[in-house]
Amino acid sequence: MSKKPDAPASGARRRIVQGALALPALTAAPWVLRYAHAQGDLGAYQSAKVDWRQAQGEQITVAVIPAGYFDALIAVTPEFEALTGIKVRYEKVPPGQIRQKAILDLSSKGTTYATHAADPMYYDLYVSNKWVEPIDKYLGDAKLTDAAWYKPDDMIPAWRGANSVKGRLYGVPFDGESTLQIYRKDLYDAKGLKPAETLDDVMKNAKAVHDPDSRVWGAALRGFKGAGQNMYIYPSIFRALGGEWFRGGSFNGNSKEAVAALEWYVELLSKYAPPAVRNWNWPDLADAFSQGTLGLYIDANTSASVLNNAERSKVLGKIGYARWPKGPSGKRVSSIWNWGFPINAALSDKAKRATWLFISWATSAETQARTSWKAKGPVKRLGLNRLSLWESKDFATLAGGLGSNFLQASIDSMRQDLDVEWRPRMPQWPAVGETMATAIQAALVGQQKPKEALDEAQGRIAQILKS
Amino acid sequence: MKLRNAVLLVAAVLMMFVWAFPVVWGLLTSLKTERDVLAYPPSVVFEPTLGNYADILFGATSILPNLVSSVIVSGLTTAVTMLFAIPAAYALSRLELPFKRGAGFYVLATQMLPPVGLVIPYFLILRGMGWTDTYQGLVLVYLTFALPFAIWLLVSYFEEIPREMEEAALLDRAGRLRALWYVILPQAKGGIAVTVIFVFLNSWNEFLFAVVLGGNTVRTVTVAMFNFISLEQTQWARLAAAAMAGMAPVIVLGLIAQKHIVKGLTVGAVKGGGRR
Amino acid sequence: MTNPRKGERRFALALFLPALLLLVATTTLPLVYLLWTSVQRIDLSMPWLTGFAGLANYAQLGGDARFWSSLGLTFIYTATTVVLQVVVGLALALLVMQVRVGQGLLRIAAILPIVLAPVVAGLFWRSLVLAPDFGVMDFLTRALGLGSYNWLGDPQLALLSVIAIHTWQWTPFAFLVLLASLAALPPDIYEAARLDRAGPWQRFWHITLPMLRPAIVIVVILRMVTALSAFAAIFAATGGGPGTATEILNLYAYRLSFTELNLGYGAAVATVLLVITLTVSFGLFALRRGR
Repeated sequence: MSKKPDAPASGARRRIVQGALALPALTAAPWVLRYAHAQGDLGAYQSAKVDWRQAQGEQITVAVIPAGYFDALIAVTPEFEALTGIKVRYEKVPPGQIRQKAILDLSSKGTTYATHAADPMYYDLYVSNKWVEPIDKYLGDAKLTDAAWYKPDDMIPAWRGANSVKGRLYGVPFDGESTLQIYRKDLYDAKGLKPAETLDDVMKNAKAVHDPDSRVWGAALRGFKGAGQNMYIYPSIFRALGGEWFRGGSFNGNSKEAVAALEWYVELLSKYAPPAVRNWNWPDLADAFSQGTLGLYIDANTSASVLNNAERSKVLGKIGYARWPKGPSGKRVSSIWNWGFPINAALSDKAKRATWLFISWATSAETQARTSWKAKGPVKRLGLNRLSLWESKDFATLAGGLGSNFLQASIDSMRQDLDVEWRPRMPQWPAVGETMATAIQAALVGQQKPKEALDEAQGRIAQILKS
Repeated sequence: MKLRNAVLLVAAVLMMFVWAFPVVWGLLTSLKTERDVLAYPPSVVFEPTLGNYADILFGATSILPNLVSSVIVSGLTTAVTMLFAIPAAYALSRLELPFKRGAGFYVLATQMLPPVGLVIPYFLILRGMGWTDTYQGLVLVYLTFALPFAIWLLVSYFEEIPREMEEAALLDRAGRLRALWYVILPQAKGGIAVTVIFVFLNSWNEFLFAVVLGGNTVRTVTVAMFNFISLEQTQWARLAAAAMAGMAPVIVLGLIAQKHIVKGLTVGAVKGGGRR
Repeated sequence: MTNPRKGERRFALALFLPALLLLVATTTLPLVYLLWTSVQRIDLSMPWLTGFAGLANYAQLGGDARFWSSLGLTFIYTATTVVLQVVVGLALALLVMQVRVGQGLLRIAAILPIVLAPVVAGLFWRSLVLAPDFGVMDFLTRALGLGSYNWLGDPQLALLSVIAIHTWQWTPFAFLVLLASLAALPPDIYEAARLDRAGPWQRFWHITLPMLRPAIVIVVILRMVTALSAFAAIFAATGGGPGTATEILNLYAYRLSFTELNLGYGAAVATVLLVITLTVSFGLFALRRGR
C-alpha cells in the first residue's frame, strides 16, 4: 500500500542550505508548511511499500564525524524528517574520539546515540558485548523493508561482509572507500612507466621518479602509528604476500610473511619517501601529493576530491589511479573501509524502528544519489555504497574529471580486490591493531628491526589475549 | 648602564621572537589561502586574505556559537571558582584553620587525580544525574580541577602580604570580612588577576572532558576546531583562523589582567617596615 | 585569649568549608571508582573475562616492559620540563622587570604560547613547523646550514621535541606567576641590602629567591601535575610515537583504557600515576615550609 503524497501546503517556502547540528524545535503544524517543498521530491521514497510514518514523533540522535560525506547527508535530512515525521539530531564528534564516545554510550546501556558512524573493525567488539542489533531482523521484516525497492544485495558485498560477524550483518554501509595506487601520470608517462603490477614494480617505479633534490620523492605510505593509520595499509601487503592472521585458531602476527611485508614497507619508505612520512597520516600524504612532491602513494580513492581541489592542488590533470599491485600469487588486496550505521540495542522498540527507517533511508540508492551527483551543496560524495551507482552514467560524469582511470580502478578494486579477512577480525581488534601499528612504526623509524618489532608485538598480543 | 640596558633589550626581543614565533606563524597561516599554506619554501610574503576568518565566523561551520559556548563554560567556571577559592585561600594562608596542613595538602592532592582515570566515572555520574551535555555538568567537573589550583595559587600570593596590614585593619575594629575585602584583596590584585587568567585559560583549552561530557548544546571551541580537521584533509588556513579566533577572548582577558599584575612595580607597599 | 581565637577558627572554617565540601563531594566517588576498577578485570573487548582480579593488574605492571619504559620517559619528561619552565620563567620575569621600554609588548608576547590550545599547538608543531622538508623549522635549519633533522620521526629527537613543545607552551605560566610574585615583593628590603653593599647576584640569591620560595614550590607542584597529565599536545604531535618513544604514563593509561579498552589495567596504571604524583608532591610540599 503506497502512500499518496500530501497536498503541498500553501505558505512559506524555505530553502535550507546546510544544517550542521541542532535542528529547530518543531511543532506538529508548522513542519508541514516548512517542508512543503520537500514533499514533492519524496515520490521516489514513497514508491516503497513501507509505511515511512510508522515511527513518527520519535527523536533520534546520530553521531558522525566532521566530514564532507556526512555533511551531504545532513543537508538532505530535512527530506527524511518530512517523509517520516522522525526528528534527527546529529552530533559531530572528532574522529579520534567517536569510537570511544560511542562505546561509552553503548557499554553503559545508554541511549544517547541511536546510531553512529561505526568502524567496521569494531563490530566483533560490539557483538560480543551484545551492544547492537542484528540487521537481518529488520531487513527481513516486510513492514520495515521493501526488499525489491531497497535492494540490500546491491550494496557492496565486501563492505557488508566486513560489517558482519559470523555471517550476520550488524551495520549497514553508508560511505566507504577502497585503496588504490595514486600516481603522477605525467611523471610516469615521461619515463615510459606503467603503474606497478607487482610489489617489485612499485620499488622500480619509485626509484625511477625519485628526485629529492627537485623535491619529488618516489613513493609514500602512511607511517603514523594507529590501527586506522599505518595498520590500514600494511595488511594489504601482508595478505598479498599470502599471510594469514590466525594460525591454528590463535593470532599470529610475526609469521614470515608478516616480517617480509614489514621489510618491504620499511624498505620502500626508507629509500623513496620523505623522512617526514613516519608521522604522516593520509591527509598529510594527500597534501604532499597535491603539492607535487610525491610520485606515488597508495591510499583511499576518495582522496581524489582533495587532490582535485583547485584551491590547493598543483597536480590537476596529472593524476592517475591503479589497483593495488599483486603479490607473488597474483592476489591484489585493497583495504575495506566503510562507515556503517548499527542500531543501538538498548533503545526502545519504537526507537529502533525509527533508527532503522533512518538507516534504510540513508543507505538507499536514492539518498546515495541525492548526496552525490544530485547534491545541491558543494560536496558531492564519491564513496557510494552500491555498485550499481558506481557503474551509472551520472556517477561517471561526476567522477570523470578526477584523474585517469579513477572509475575503472575503483570499480575493479571493489569487485575483485576486497578481502574480508584482510585485517584480523576479533573483538580485541582495538588493542591488537594498536600494538601492530606501534611495531610498524618502530620498524619504520629504525628503533627496531622488523622481525624484532613484530616478535615483541606478538608477545604483547599473546599476553593481551590470555584468558 | 646604557650598554647593559641595550643588551638586555636585545636579549628580551630575541627571546620574545622565539617565543611568539609559532603563534605568529599561525597568525600568518590564517591569513593565507590554502594554496599558500602548503608552499615550500614557506612563504612570508603572500597575498593576505580575510576569507578564512569570514568562513569560520560566518560560514556554514561557523564557530561563533562555539565561542559563546566556551565563554559560558569558562566564565562560569572562573566565577564560581574564585567565589569559593578566595575565602578558602585566605583561611588557609592567614587564619587559624584547624588541621591546616592536612586540609591544605588534601586540597592540593585532589588535583592529582589523573584526568584519564576520571573520564569514565564522571561520565557515568553526570549521566546518572542527567547532566551530560549541560553547562552545569561540565562546569562542575571543571571546578574539581580549577578549585585546588586556584586555592593554592592564591595562597602563595596571600602569604606575601605583610601581617601588619591586616592587624592594622583589625585594630581599626574593621572586622575580619572587611579586613579581607578592603585590605587583603586589593593588595593581592596581581595574584588574583593571574589566577583568574589561568583558571579561565585552563577551562578554555580543555579538550578531553569537553568532548566526552559535552555534546550539541555544550560544544566548546576546542571541540569545534576539529570541524576543520576532517577525515579527508586538514584545512590548515581555516584551522589556524579558528585557533586565532579561539585565542582572542583569552588574550583580551589577559590584557585586562596584565594591568593589575604589575601594579606593584610602581605602587609601594607599606611604608617603613615590611619584613615578614 | 581563647575567645578571639575561637572566633577566628570558626571564621576560618566558614570560609574554607564550602570549597572543601565541594571537593570532597566531587572527587571521592570518582576516586573510589578508579580504585575499584583497578582491582577488576574489565576488558571491553573480552567481556567474558570480567570479574574481580585483586592485585593482578598491579602485578602485571611489574612484567610490563612498556610500563617501565613509560615510567622512565615520564620522569625525564616531567623533570626536564618543570625545571626548564621554572628557570626560564623566572629569568623572563626578572628580565621583563628590568626592561622598561616595551614592557607591555613583552608581557603580551610572553603569554602567547599558553593561549594557544594544546591540541592545535601539537598539530601546528607537527605539520607546519617540525616536519622535515615541509616545515618551517627544517627550512630554517637548512638555511642556517645546520642540516635537516626529523624532529618528530627520530625517537630521541621526538622526546626532545615534545619536551620543547611542552616547555614552550607552559613556561608563560611560571613567568606570569613569578612576575606577579616579584612585583608584590616589598621594595625596601632591597634598600637594606644595597646599604650592605650586596651586589645584584647576591641580592637575588639571598633575598629574592628565598622570598620567592613558596611561590616557586607551588609553581613546581602545579607544573608537575600538568606535565604528568599532559595529553593533548603530545597526542596530536606524535600520538606517543614514534613507536613508544614519547609515550608518557598518562598517554599509556589513555591507550590502555580507551584504545585497547582494557579498563581494569588502565585504571591500575592511572592509580600508579596518582600515587607517584602524590608522593612527589608531598615531598615538595614539605620543602615549602622549610625555614
